[in-house]
Amino acid sequence: MKNTKQPVDGLLLFAIGALLIIGVIMVYSASAAWGEYRFNDPFYFSKRQALFAFVGVIGLVIMMHFDYWKMRRYVVPALFVCFGLLILVLIPGVGLIRGGAQSWIGVGAFSIQPSEFMKLAMIGFLAHWLSNNNQLLASFRKGLLPLLATIFVAFGMIMLQPDLGTGAVMVATSFIILFVAGAKIKHFAILGGLGVLGFVGLIASAPYRIDRITSFLDPWSDPLGTGFQIIQSLYAIGPGGLFGMGFGESRQKYFYLPEPQTDFIFAVIAEEGGFIAGAMVIFLFTVILWRGIRAALLAPDSFGTYLAVGIVGMLFVQVAINIGVVIGLIPVTGITLPLLSYGGSSLTLMLVALGILLNISAHARSV
Amino acid sequence: MSKITKTLVRKRLFFFLIIGLVLAIVLMARLGYVQFGLGGWLTGAAEDSWSRDLPFEAERGEILDRNGEVLATNVSAPSVLVVPRQIDHPEETAAMLADLLDGDQERIYRQVTENSSIVRINPDGRKIDQEVAGDIRKMRHSGVYIVEDNKRHYPQGEHLAHVLGFAGIDNQGLVGLESFYDEKLAGQSGHVSFFSDAQGRRLPDMADQYQPPQNGMDVKLTIDDRVQTIIERELDNAEATYNPDGALAIAMDPQSGEVLGMSSRPHFNPDDYQAVSPEIYNQNRPIWAQYEPGSTFKIITLAAALEENKVDLENDHYYDSGSIEVAGHRLRCWKKGGHGSQTFLEVVQNSCNPGFVVLGERLGTEKLFDYIRAFGFGQETGIDMDGEGSGILFKEENVGPLERATTAFGQGVAVTPIQQVAAVAAAVNGGTLYQPFIAKDWIDPDTDMVIDSQLPIAKRNVISEETSKEVRRALENVVAQGTGGKAFVDGYRVGGKTGTAQKASGGRYLENNHIVSFIGFAPADDPQIVVYVAVDNPKNTVQFGGVVSAPIAGKIIGDSLEALGVPKREDQIEKKLTWTDVPVLEVPDLTGLTLRDIHDASYPLELDIQGSGEFIQHQSPAAGERVEEGSTVRIFMGDEEQPRD
Repeated sequence: MKNTKQPVDGLLLFAIGALLIIGVIMVYSASAAWGEYRFNDPFYFSKRQALFAFVGVIGLVIMMHFDYWKMRRYVVPALFVCFGLLILVLIPGVGLIRGGAQSWIGVGAFSIQPSEFMKLAMIGFLAHWLSNNNQLLASFRKGLLPLLATIFVAFGMIMLQPDLGTGAVMVATSFIILFVAGAKIKHFAILGGLGVLGFVGLIASAPYRIDRITSFLDPWSDPLGTGFQIIQSLYAIGPGGLFGMGFGESRQKYFYLPEPQTDFIFAVIAEEGGFIAGAMVIFLFTVILWRGIRAALLAPDSFGTYLAVGIVGMLFVQVAINIGVVIGLIPVTGITLPLLSYGGSSLTLMLVALGILLNISAHARSV
Repeated sequence: MSKITKTLVRKRLFFFLIIGLVLAIVLMARLGYVQFGLGGWLTGAAEDSWSRDLPFEAERGEILDRNGEVLATNVSAPSVLVVPRQIDHPEETAAMLADLLDGDQERIYRQVTENSSIVRINPDGRKIDQEVAGDIRKMRHSGVYIVEDNKRHYPQGEHLAHVLGFAGIDNQGLVGLESFYDEKLAGQSGHVSFFSDAQGRRLPDMADQYQPPQNGMDVKLTIDDRVQTIIERELDNAEATYNPDGALAIAMDPQSGEVLGMSSRPHFNPDDYQAVSPEIYNQNRPIWAQYEPGSTFKIITLAAALEENKVDLENDHYYDSGSIEVAGHRLRCWKKGGHGSQTFLEVVQNSCNPGFVVLGERLGTEKLFDYIRAFGFGQETGIDMDGEGSGILFKEENVGPLERATTAFGQGVAVTPIQQVAAVAAAVNGGTLYQPFIAKDWIDPDTDMVIDSQLPIAKRNVISEETSKEVRRALENVVAQGTGGKAFVDGYRVGGKTGTAQKASGGRYLENNHIVSFIGFAPADDPQIVVYVAVDNPKNTVQFGGVVSAPIAGKIIGDSLEALGVPKREDQIEKKLTWTDVPVLEVPDLTGLTLRDIHDASYPLELDIQGSGEFIQHQSPAAGERVEEGSTVRIFMGDEEQPRD
């Protein structure tokens, strides 16, 4: 495991930095009206976002310089800690309920989302286990089954909050790792079938999820109810056109979009910056995808490969789901846009994860 | 067990990358589609959702008579709107509005704090005085807006009320022409839009957009206000004199179908329509009422018989014995003992029922009914107003000789006044049936240019010019020499016919309850006006039919032609020196007649009716006694039918 350290992947760092800056600026633009309205401070959200970004960047720099393989000894304990937190958050009085889900632990601004940590811990655990038991994956019982059990216990606990979005991202990320690690296509087909059934069951079990699906199919059937969010999102994006309304000129952020600075920040970006800004954001995420997969390919060990795939997979799954929702491709799910959406836990953790990715890419074998 | 190799991992990584790139492209494509493909539509919809409109009402078009006299107009009356979310101090604002509008402060407070984007201060702030509006403006309370508004005003009061109808509080046409032509009169309201956030506050840095209202079109009617004024005056007089259940009159230009005047009693003031029951303003009797026409309908039978060459007015004779037997029923003439031997011109002059039964027989059922329909009976005339009746005819397959006979002199059918006017106009104008109409010219209020004009609508030719001429001659004779004498206007060659309709209810005729009517036209050589007058159940002095309505019609015709500037004629059928000019006359024999019979007659005598029943049993003074014109003949009613001859 001794290889010469490469200089940092500038392209990857540039894409991350660019998105982070865009994020802080757009959180300001998107949230100024809400901040003024609720806290009498147009900078309320953007100040905090800048702070989170600062903390996150420190995390990123630390992880960038921390050789990733040294983490292997911490991944299993981290997984247990996360399971513990997931139990803790469900205890009434300990877990905080926000937006209908009991997903938070802590006090005020210092509260965290255990499920966000779980996503990362699961990636680390899977990468660790798979690189240790490289060939076991070909067997369903000895390889795949124990991993699936772990994943679904975690998923089940996240669903108790309930937080379908985060749970789905974690499962999807895990499957990407399993897929890249060589799980059999046949097993995937079976799992896929079961997964679809399970997903349908979950959706059917909660009426509000059905509403989200039907409102996605025809948002105008209930414009003030279930279709409201998607309609307001499209009202933001549509008028943006090619160049947008100009920075700060969004109309939809004036209380039409329910949470313009979090889940629907991409709508404000496309409204104020038009297609150019929207496409540029997607492009920057694609750059991270490309450089991330490159890092996975060139990683000196399979732990690094799987870890990189997991991180980049988690990021891209969230990007695809969030933007897909905002532009009306898939039903409303409630997933933040990495690096751009307002939110402490998700932003700092994403930056930490990207720091790990940068570290892996710095150890790339020379090509 | 296959081995998991580095190559497999590598391949899977590539696959993952490809999937990711495809997803990125899909996202961009969809983003582009939403922004470029759906962008225009979404922008429109979004702007609608951002903008809040303060309405600017369009000014409703004016209604004018044919000479530009204003019949319906608008007076400025602003309204108060509030945008609750822009109001900083609702308590103060509510107090200020309540004070200035003299309204209920609690209700106004509820309205200024309503959870709604724009609220009208109702009813205190609707259509208020300019002064009050100015005071409110001066207070400069945020979120309080004065919008220009106006309310309908009918400067002529009750004049033409049923035809004009009225508009409601929102200037929406409710009744009459106001309702029928609401779309054209109303115009399109405009608005000032300001862009607001989802909570109704103004968005910063966005200009207001003003969409000016499109005012409604003005309309010039065919109505001539001078003719209308004459009609209203005469109906007022008739009401005062006879205290009838109702009265109506129509004047129409027979050469075009243009309605010159139309009115009925009871009526109402459109500015204050709430003062009367809806029945009164909803029933425009001249087009709505359906009843038996009586003898005025004989004009149709006459015209048909002339057109079909079934009669020669000068040379054919008919001996009237006082009754005629049809299918086992005796149909009586109003004159006891009959008119004896008459030419058919005299049959018309005398309004002799048996003579018209003969004309109906000569025509045959099919021809008679063909003409009745051709003259427009049994269907709506199509006049541009709501609520027209279509009348009721016998079903032709049910018409036997008796039904044909009664139809020929105007009983057993139901028609509307406007149908009679249109039909008689066709009979005297040379034979063309016109569709009556009221809205003539539509005028752009901004340019004063006529945009659209209604030309006369000729439906069909019913009879020839020659026949029409003969009808005019016969009807001029009726007025100059016969039962219509009270309608005579010297120099205007009035032609016409009296009629009496017995009112029916529940399939039975009502006793002593008649609608007495007269339909006339003038001048007979070139008719310029057709006038129909009907008085429903005249009371006080019960008079003969021709005596009630004919003079009213004559007055309307004479005064209207003078107002219209129609020159008097040199040659006319001179008026027979009848009873009017003879101070003393012989009392006619009235015993055995019904009241309906004597309504068709015309004597310058007053009646004093005693008792009840269908037939006159006795009279005093007795027949043959000589009395002075205007004397009262007392008649005693009973149910016993008396031999007539």
